[in-house]
Amino acid sequence: MTLFAPDRDPLQVTRRQFVRTTSIGLAGSSLATMLAARRAPAQIKGSNLRILTWSHFIPAYDAWFDKFAGEWGEKNGVKVRVDHIPHLEIPARMAAEFAAGAGHDILFNGSTILTRIYYKTLADLTDIYDQIGKKHGGWIAAARSPVEVEGRIYGIPVYYILLPMLWRKDLFEEAGVKPPDTWEAARVAARTLKAKGHPTGIQLSHCNDANLNWRSLLFSFGGTETDPSGEHPTIDTKEMREALRFGKALFDEGMTPEVFSWDDASDNRYLASGIASWIHDAISAYRTTESTNPNVFKNTYVGLEPAGPGGKRVSVSAPNAFMVWKFSKNQAAAKEFLVHLMDNDKQGMIESTGYNMPFLNDTAKKPMPVIGSDAKLQVLQDFPKIVAFFGYPGPYTTQIQEVANLFVLPDMFTRVARGQGIDETIKWGLGEYQRIFAKHKKA
Amino acid sequence: MSTSVLARPRTARQKETRRLVLIYAGITPFVLVAVFPIYWMAITAFKQDPDLYRMDNIPFWFNLAPTLQHFKTLFYQTNYGAWISNTMTISVWVALITLLTAVPAGYALARLRLPGAENAGIGIFMSYLVPPIILFLPLSRVVALLGLQDSWWALVLVYPTFTIPFCTWLMMGFFKTVPMEMEEAARVDGCGFFGAFVRVVLPVSVPGVLTSVIFAFTLSMQDFLYGLAFVAPGDQKPVPVGVPTELIRGDVYYWGSLMGAALLVGLPVAILYNFFLDRFIQGITGGVGK
Amino acid sequence: MTSTFQAGDPETGVRVAVPLGALPRSGAWFRSQSARRLGFGYALLAPAALYVTLLVAVPFLFSLYLAVSDATVGEQMAGFIGLENFKAALEMDSFWIALRNSVVFFVVAAVLKSLLGTSLAFLLLQEFRGKKLVRALVVIPFTLPVAISVLGWKWMYDSQFSVVNWVLSRLGLIGAYGTDAWPVWLGDPRLALVACILVNVWRTFPFSAIVLLAGFTSVPNEVLDAAKVDGCSFLQRFHNIVVPMIFPILMVGFLFDTVFTLSDLSVVYILTQGGPGNATQILPVLAYQIGIQAGNLGRGAAIALFLVPLLAPAIFVFLRNLKRREY
Repeated sequence: MTLFAPDRDPLQVTRRQFVRTTSIGLAGSSLATMLAARRAPAQIKGSNLRILTWSHFIPAYDAWFDKFAGEWGEKNGVKVRVDHIPHLEIPARMAAEFAAGAGHDILFNGSTILTRIYYKTLADLTDIYDQIGKKHGGWIAAARSPVEVEGRIYGIPVYYILLPMLWRKDLFEEAGVKPPDTWEAARVAARTLKAKGHPTGIQLSHCNDANLNWRSLLFSFGGTETDPSGEHPTIDTKEMREALRFGKALFDEGMTPEVFSWDDASDNRYLASGIASWIHDAISAYRTTESTNPNVFKNTYVGLEPAGPGGKRVSVSAPNAFMVWKFSKNQAAAKEFLVHLMDNDKQGMIESTGYNMPFLNDTAKKPMPVIGSDAKLQVLQDFPKIVAFFGYPGPYTTQIQEVANLFVLPDMFTRVARGQGIDETIKWGLGEYQRIFAKHKKA
Repeated sequence: MSTSVLARPRTARQKETRRLVLIYAGITPFVLVAVFPIYWMAITAFKQDPDLYRMDNIPFWFNLAPTLQHFKTLFYQTNYGAWISNTMTISVWVALITLLTAVPAGYALARLRLPGAENAGIGIFMSYLVPPIILFLPLSRVVALLGLQDSWWALVLVYPTFTIPFCTWLMMGFFKTVPMEMEEAARVDGCGFFGAFVRVVLPVSVPGVLTSVIFAFTLSMQDFLYGLAFVAPGDQKPVPVGVPTELIRGDVYYWGSLMGAALLVGLPVAILYNFFLDRFIQGITGGVGK
Repeated sequence: MTSTFQAGDPETGVRVAVPLGALPRSGAWFRSQSARRLGFGYALLAPAALYVTLLVAVPFLFSLYLAVSDATVGEQMAGFIGLENFKAALEMDSFWIALRNSVVFFVVAAVLKSLLGTSLAFLLLQEFRGKKLVRALVVIPFTLPVAISVLGWKWMYDSQFSVVNWVLSRLGLIGAYGTDAWPVWLGDPRLALVACILVNVWRTFPFSAIVLLAGFTSVPNEVLDAAKVDGCSFLQRFHNIVVPMIFPILMVGFLFDTVFTLSDLSVVYILTQGGPGNATQILPVLAYQIGIQAGNLGRGAAIALFLVPLLAPAIFVFLRNLKRREY
């Protein structure tokens, strides 16, 4: 097979990368030596570290991260390479690396969390998880759920992405409706404003935002997805019925059928076009209007997760974590790097322009970087207490991941919005949940 | 094919006019359907972002000044240049491998009366049926074993799995139309089987070979899954993988750059296609004497 | 031509069409050389056969194994569980929806493509000014990378900024934005499937047209003229002469497109991910979501494999048939 012999060692950096890395290194090294807070153990010197991460919503954060990793490598004598792919494609890439038994040393999970599927092939990171926690005031309560399996930790949670309320204060005031502090107020506002040509929208389709948003609503209504053990689905409840009923009312009164076709980006455009009265989405939706529609940017405000009928607020967010393959030959370097990354948690949050929400208590202390000093974004500091992930109040399990991949919960809301009866919908949803849960038990 | 079935003769000139009117009337919708999305992509590539998100404007033209910003993004902030050269190099290699395997195989199956040839031919075509989603995991192990992971060479290795079956059948059909006596004459002249194949059959098979090359090129540009699974480094990706993976950031689509990127590779291939279209058509049918 | 197989094709009417097929062959000369011929033949066949065996057949067997195991993406050396995965797939209603949609998708797309492809091919057979330009323009959709051109369609189908709706609305065919008469292409369950099919048709009808055009040009004019003199109508000529003659080409083109259409997940995956509800769910997307994204490899493989038994017998029969009808 000489035809296919690689013309160079695949681990060796290409000339182009080399030039890039070294130039970054030179620029950063003086600063780096000044700041040299930690000295890495000698054995990682000369190793290679390959990091797979996503294409962050904020391109500047990617640029910073690449530079940050390069500088760390420069300082510790480790050849670092960072590859970026879209978060939706990570599962395929991960499966391929697993099958190959080779690939990156550090990998990223975001929106799809596969810790429990792969944990047998992931390095146990409990030691550095504890070490990082101890050094930085501990982890927030929700941090363990995506990375813990049977009491051990297989990933380092780095940040989560919030989906708060983004609402048009000008439109609300003009119509004389209350800010969307409760789901009920949000519904009234949407009903009133839809009549004036400003409906709202939450995806009733197959996309990640649909999974996140409808869960926020359900959990704030007191509903749950599983019991705290994560073993049994809890779909057929009074709260679920109430949430479904409310979802239908919200759709009928405040949305248009467009939401059936939406993807993660559609509500951004809805806001940017000046149509939406409010959306429930990541702050990138608001941020990008600064250039696309400055008027909308000026009048859009960020709100706390709306409260359900019982006053409960649960904000379902997308967690992001780094894992390390067990087959990685550079685990020591990988761990060192992750510790270093978390030591610079605040810096990361700043570089992401406040987009990355911290898992570490020290960073989450008020005033938080960036958002603490931005009048509109300050409210985001109140989210760490109410943040939750899929599977709430149980852990983020394999079953729940499959439920999310098949969009079962948003499909339940879609069915009801389209006119199917609540009982029938619950029966269908419960059937899907049970089928998926039973399957994993067998496996 | 001068015999038009559409016209009913009056005078010759009327007949001709009528024929042309009918043809143009018939062809216009096709051209519109095929080209409009392309036009739309092209204009999107030159529009400023705020121009995209206005509902009251006429979408077919620029309401704000056109911009080259999206192309700048493409060339200065992504590895687009590298992706293009990767795509081209991959395609050339794939075409080469396909030719070296499919042309001889097609010839053997079509002309040499091998026992079991028919089933072998069917077997080769059947392999085309296995969808990439089934194959990509086992293949990733093969790729890793050969040490090709994260290099575009991995794609050179796997793309022939779908070009070989198709091109073998294409060439089989083609060789069957080459007159047998040409080879026999060559062999009588002392050429031997190999000589006859190389000196006599191949030269008249150029259209078929060209068709295979074009197919290998086109098919190499249609893959997404293999590229995604096997090649992560930013500078090793081919265009169809690099573009969507680096120009969609979470819920932000870089529409202008996406569309520009598609056109910059699609249009040259389309032009190339057209250069060879006549030969291509010959190649599908088997062209000697036609 | 019947060079590979036994001579004596009785369809002489067809045979006349390609005079080459009627040439006498010197079989005796061949037989004396048969050992060398076989050696040479297998040597020529070997690289392709080897490539396909190593990189398709062997991995395929591995997938078969996955389908009868409880493998997950994180644990591939798993236990044998028989047909459990297939049974489980049959119990999912989304599987049946996906199967139905796959079939509908394929059939509707195939019908549209043949109609459009045939009409376009006939038009391109005529002589007219600007033919080359037209031909150049209509093949563009086929040459764009599918993953990116589908993104272009996603933008054209946008619920708000859809240029398709903008045109239709200005023409008065649909209502204004914000009314019920404004179609949401990817949101209405029926429209969504139609929208996905249209993208597939848009992408591949130029290919159908080119293949058919190639077929038509291969039919000698004399044959058609002779038939015309004999009083055959256009449809009779088409059905009795053209179709049988271009049958092999049609079949290869058809099979190629069948596989491409049935196993392609990019159109649906990029446009709707199978939504809304399961309105556009098709087998490859479902297999990808369960097998890769949710990590349930065995079950995903089982679902994807349902494509193979669906396709294989049909294709086998087609290919066997080719032998008898070849020229």
